[in-house]
Amino acid sequence: MASTTLTPPGAAPAPRATRAITAARLLPWLLLAPSAAVLLVVTGYPLVRMLWLSVHEYERAQLLGVPAPFVGLDNYTATLTDPRFWTVTARSFAFMVVCVVLTIVVGTLVALLLMKLGRGMRLVLSVGLLLAWAMPPLAAMLVWGWIFDTQYGVVNHLLTSLTSTDWMGHSWLVSPLSFFAVATLVVVWGAIPFVAFTLYAGFTQVPGEVLEAAHLDGANARQRFVDVQVPYVRTIYVVLIVLSMIWDLKVFTQIFVLQGIGGVKSQTSTLGVYIYEMGMAQGHYGAASAIAVVFTLVMLTISAYYVRVTIREETP
Amino acid sequence: MKILRTGAVGLAAALVLAACSGGGDSGTDASDGADGAEIRVWLVGTDTPDAARDYLTTTFEEENPGSTLTIEEQSWTGLVDKLTTALSSSDSPDVVEVGNTQAATFTSAGFFAPLDDIADDLGGDDLLPGFVKAGTWEDTFYAAPYYAGSRIVFYSDQVLGGTPVPTTLDEYVATAKSLRTADRSGLWFPGQDWYNALPFVWENGGFIAEAGDDGEWEAGFSTDGGITGLEQVQDLMTNASNAPKDGDEAELQVPFCAGQTTFLSAPNWIRWSIQAPADAETPGCADTFGADLHAFPLPGATAGETAKVFAGGSNVAVATKSQDVDLAKKALTIMLSEEYQTILAENSMIPARISLASALPDDEFTQASAAAAANAELTPATPRWGDVEAQKVIQDALVRIAQGGDVTTIAQELDASIEQILNG
Repeated sequence: MASTTLTPPGAAPAPRATRAITAARLLPWLLLAPSAAVLLVVTGYPLVRMLWLSVHEYERAQLLGVPAPFVGLDNYTATLTDPRFWTVTARSFAFMVVCVVLTIVVGTLVALLLMKLGRGMRLVLSVGLLLAWAMPPLAAMLVWGWIFDTQYGVVNHLLTSLTSTDWMGHSWLVSPLSFFAVATLVVVWGAIPFVAFTLYAGFTQVPGEVLEAAHLDGANARQRFVDVQVPYVRTIYVVLIVLSMIWDLKVFTQIFVLQGIGGVKSQTSTLGVYIYEMGMAQGHYGAASAIAVVFTLVMLTISAYYVRVTIREETP
Repeated sequence: MKILRTGAVGLAAALVLAACSGGGDSGTDASDGADGAEIRVWLVGTDTPDAARDYLTTTFEEENPGSTLTIEEQSWTGLVDKLTTALSSSDSPDVVEVGNTQAATFTSAGFFAPLDDIADDLGGDDLLPGFVKAGTWEDTFYAAPYYAGSRIVFYSDQVLGGTPVPTTLDEYVATAKSLRTADRSGLWFPGQDWYNALPFVWENGGFIAEAGDDGEWEAGFSTDGGITGLEQVQDLMTNASNAPKDGDEAELQVPFCAGQTTFLSAPNWIRWSIQAPADAETPGCADTFGADLHAFPLPGATAGETAKVFAGGSNVAVATKSQDVDLAKKALTIMLSEEYQTILAENSMIPARISLASALPDDEFTQASAAAAANAELTPATPRWGDVEAQKVIQDALVRIAQGGDVTTIAQELDASIEQILNG
């Protein structure tokens, strides 16, 4: 805001100075305007529309222009009293917890491995991680689907040749537990690269002399990790865990594609898939929006913590 | 920003934003005539033969100089979702094919333009009545019959050998079970194949759902007949079939051509897929198991009768949001013309016009199919039926039955789900 000094003192008449101040005040807003406009269009409008839909009875006929009757909070009461909603929510959270724990643990191990590897192998591992990360989920899912295919899957083939029992024809998706084991594997596989890279970046910032001092003081590798390295990257962990929670709660593609390959839909739907099923597949857009609003509130609660941590980081 | 992005996640799924319509994106400036328009026809699956497609395009463009007609092929998987999005968008296709049991979902919600004014041009009383009923909503005719078909049981002589063809449903179950080996199913019965499970329910006196006098729907899988039928299904799935317990009924020619099954119950026109050359784009096995292919209609409870089977087939309709409804209706009229329907009939599809049944080829597949179709049943006539299919409640129940679950419990839960959906 000190840019008013650009006006030569005394040279400009007072009104012009005022105008300059106004312009300077406006500048940040002008710079923010493009991204604000994009956000308003891309997330603001849909958000408002979703809230509007959630208090109306909006079915397929309404898509063609039939007026939608206002129903108040009926969609919400229906959602919150539907046992299926609670089953799906519980399932989503359980799935999220397992995925987040596995992602963080394996991600940490891979990050530590990256620290220890020589240049050549580190490059190979990094490229491998990047490829897994860059693969679009849908394409990845089709490949994973074939890997676990009941009749022609390579997993069944390998298990049959490694063990003496016949695994061909074993369906990995038919039991919900096994379905989610496969889903967890795929989701964690896709999530590890980001976590591993971020943690690796964090670990490299831990000063070498601190680690060396700890080493000289007789701290073993585990103690150095728990008492020195982890505290240094604590905030990174917080952010990664919160982000993973959000990503794994809203998982859609993986579950949706796996359900198309096999399994029992009613026993394997997670929140994202459930909303799609209610809205797109059955055309109950109002009811689906109500679920989506509740889901958004849950996500906001989780995100609030993340935002607080981030803001605290930025304003020391 | 993260907050907003996460907020967007939920609504992305909930809203009708999806601008998918993955079909052809052919330019709109293709017309060279003064008032030429482009008509887009969505056909589903590979069922419509190429000869019919060529006839439709050529005839339409001859009759309407300056206008073009493009056929875009869609897949049966996720069709209802895709049609909902496409038909309500400003880039709607003009003429669409839809499964007969899915038609009510769209006719009841205003997605299709009324056809009453051209009903006589389309065939009038000559049209298959069950399909006209499926395409009619509150006395307005929205979706014309396209073709019909029914499932018949295929087998290859070299595989069946000297075993006699079963003449009753019980014999069929017994034969299929006795023919099963570790490498070959007696009958290929994937867990999600509900079309093939329905005949057992119907033949034993069960039903899907019936409306009472008060309009309340009552589901009938857990009636005595329904349970007996589902127990037969379970017997077949576990003791006669090596098919995946959670597999669906797509690409059924693959296991048949791989020699993995003796009997295959499938739509009659799958014959062409089986008898396609081994090096075709969608490979068949014309030289091996397709060389001595035979078929029979699913036998009923008593010898000499056929079982009640699911009436398969499609309806065609004009989109309300079509850019040119009149032109789209002309395209639809060609699809129901005698010439076009004759081409379908010659390719073993039961034509929408009853009078053209004589054009059906005089082979055993078509005869078996006609015999089966004479005894075909439809799903409950209510727009909410689409929700039952969308939630896959029947498929889910059958997958559990295929795994050896308790039939009575599963049937009762299934009925409860269906009643909850149909009665709202």
